[in-house]
Amino acid sequence: MSRLTTFLSRTAGNGPDRAERIGITDVLAYSYLFFGVLIILVPVLWTFFSSIKSDTAVESFDTRLAPMDQISEMIEDVGEKDVWIYTAEDGSTQLVYKAGPTRKVTDVAPVDDPGAVFKVPRTSLAPHEEMRVAVENYLDPILKRNGQDNFHFFTYLYNSVFVTVIATMVTLLINAMAAFALSKYRFRGRLTFTILIVATLLIPSSIILVSLFFVVWSFGLFGSLWGVIIPAAATPTGVFLLRQYMLTIPDELLEAARMDAASEWRIFWRIIIPLSLPALSVLAILSVIWRWNDFLWPLIVLISDPASHTLQLGLTQFAGEFDTNFHYILAMTVVTLIPITLVFVWLQRFITTGIATTGLK
Amino acid sequence: MTPAGFTVAFAALFWGLGGAIWLLMRRRYTLRQIPQFFMDLLGFPVELAQSLFGRAGVPYALLLPNMLIFGFFTFLPMILNFYVSFTGGASISLFDRPWVGLEKYADIFTCENYLSPKSCSNPGYNFWTGMFNTLWFVLIQVPILCVAALVTALVVNQNIRGRGFWRAMFFYPVMLSPVVIANIWNWVLHRKGALNASVGEARDAMTGLAGLSGFDMVATVIFAVILLVVSERSLRSNDGPSGSWTAVFGVLIAMLVYWSQPLSLIGLPGSGWLGLALAGGLYWSVSTGQSFARMAIIGAGILAVIMLLMIQFDAVFSFGRYRPINWLVTPNTGWPFFWLVFVFCWSHMGFYMLILLAGLQAIPSDLYEAAKMDATKPFRAFYRITLPLIMPTLTVVLVLSLIRSFQIFDEVYLLTGGGPGRETFMVVQNIYEVAFANDHPDYGQAAAGSILMAIVIAVFTFFQLWLTRRQSDL
Repeated sequence: MSRLTTFLSRTAGNGPDRAERIGITDVLAYSYLFFGVLIILVPVLWTFFSSIKSDTAVESFDTRLAPMDQISEMIEDVGEKDVWIYTAEDGSTQLVYKAGPTRKVTDVAPVDDPGAVFKVPRTSLAPHEEMRVAVENYLDPILKRNGQDNFHFFTYLYNSVFVTVIATMVTLLINAMAAFALSKYRFRGRLTFTILIVATLLIPSSIILVSLFFVVWSFGLFGSLWGVIIPAAATPTGVFLLRQYMLTIPDELLEAARMDAASEWRIFWRIIIPLSLPALSVLAILSVIWRWNDFLWPLIVLISDPASHTLQLGLTQFAGEFDTNFHYILAMTVVTLIPITLVFVWLQRFITTGIATTGLK
Repeated sequence: MTPAGFTVAFAALFWGLGGAIWLLMRRRYTLRQIPQFFMDLLGFPVELAQSLFGRAGVPYALLLPNMLIFGFFTFLPMILNFYVSFTGGASISLFDRPWVGLEKYADIFTCENYLSPKSCSNPGYNFWTGMFNTLWFVLIQVPILCVAALVTALVVNQNIRGRGFWRAMFFYPVMLSPVVIANIWNWVLHRKGALNASVGEARDAMTGLAGLSGFDMVATVIFAVILLVVSERSLRSNDGPSGSWTAVFGVLIAMLVYWSQPLSLIGLPGSGWLGLALAGGLYWSVSTGQSFARMAIIGAGILAVIMLLMIQFDAVFSFGRYRPINWLVTPNTGWPFFWLVFVFCWSHMGFYMLILLAGLQAIPSDLYEAAKMDATKPFRAFYRITLPLIMPTLTVVLVLSLIRSFQIFDEVYLLTGGGPGRETFMVVQNIYEVAFANDHPDYGQAAAGSILMAIVIAVFTFFQLWLTRRQSDL
């Protein structure tokens, strides 16, 4: 027994200065982490499990985890009816359907013998259920079945992917160019440019909302996806992140390339870009997160034209239109969070260490 | 063709066709170098700058696209904001807007009583309600967020198993979009949702348990045993009481004081605060290595036994019937505001945790080893080593989260829509509604609001930087 407790309570590693057993500090630390993860994961998982429940289960706020759905059967001369299990006083059970409105004493009839109506107390009826994943929650809005033709999923997805991919590529290219200039050249006005870029870091985007709208309008970008892509393509964070990284690339490499008469652009493309791939990929991931999740600016620029809604906007509109159709809203919420979750699961170590080591400073 | 379209077409022609001709005249490309050719074509303006002005012209060409975007979409709007705020009307054409001077500002400042937004004119009422709510939100939100992020970073930085996993889990909500977050929490916080259901069930179960005969006695005995074990543990070590066990002990004491309500004997409320103060005092005395720490724990233990005998546990755990709360809708309860703070923390903490974690990992470990040699208490090591060295990072986190919280819009707009009433109406939502979600958009009013908000943010940021001026490395 004592060996068992020792085994269960040992700690990671066995260096000379480590305790061999878990102390109270470890217990406190692990319970903090455990509850934290619980608070983070439970709402997300609950949303997922709710999204695969049938519409009746969702609308009646079924709090069971499994997607239980009441079976309904086609009954001759009556039509489609929900099936209930009637438990008689002697303990025998029978499959019945309700032949009249639900009252304290309800009229029911057996499924096998639809004519034989009899009265039972309401409390002796329990729904006859089966476990079923409600795929239609997902398929109806996506394939526009069952009158769900307001959620243009593929249009939204295309717009979101278009904005995310193009904006990330533009951001990477122009930020890398600016960072290259600031880190590898000595020129008049370098300090001025650096200060200008720091200054943009201090101008919050929601302050310039109104006049940015005027500028974007005068450029004729209002209502088009480019109006979302271009204004935020230059990011001070990105420039600084890349500049810090490029400062560590030795100048000798550049000099050697210049000896071989490479043009500056080729040096940038052939030497600087490949060598700063780690920082570039961190910026790429940040940019993808920013663009995929962007809300306020797309809301202003794109809201009037449903054909150019991004996934986020489409989901907002969808949730606003059908306040009661929770099952579709939940399913579409899960669809929206899946791509970013997959990217995260796939790259999580890279993202967290990347942001922690290069991020922001 | 619009002028903008014409310009774009011309630029495309110049870049694509002109660049191709220019490149093909100067360089030879074999068939295999076609990718190389397109790469060169992409950088044609830079190549052109190099051939026209030599290497000195290159950095300017490289900076040009970034600076154009910053100029047109950040600096120009910033300046334009002032102009727009001095003009009226609903026209989107800048030259079509009548000059109204300071009228838009005057509208905001038309108040009978400057402390109550209700006495202001309509735009003033909206703006000041938003501003006060936002200030209130920031004052509550930023400390909570920073403390939570710091505690999480400290815990994750411990010598624990699966550090990558925990770190990733806490970061995960940062990746989720505001719409997804709002939908998730709307679903959980619905009146019939999962939270109300589980709280109700837990309370019913507890009430049922407390109704059993003999519950009082069993609960007293269990608590007495726990108290005994915890106090023995915290007093066990030879070199002063153990900090972590004292923390657990303190939590227990606080709970006991809250339940037994000793102050109600002399007719005073506030026993809960007394318990917290007692627990805090205990932890302080132990963590700073006061000589009376051991005696304090023993004294608190004796006090705890007396209080334990005073408590009627059936009464404590009998909650009665639970009425589901409509968390995000019920006015005058503070719940919508609470959940806003909670959801904001939930979704943003991971990011600041990562920054703080990076700062923590940059602290050289020999400092802690030296402290260990001197038998320094962990709390003292935190206060004297960790906190001063993490201060620069913490300042960055403070400033970033402050600017971020000031701009809160997405979460509020999607979760509560500013309601119930105007309880969670934030200043950015005011700007958005005045300018964009209004049948008669008043851009001048919105711009004036933006400028006032910018001033408040700037004052706050500089005040914060001034407070932490010695530590800041911004």
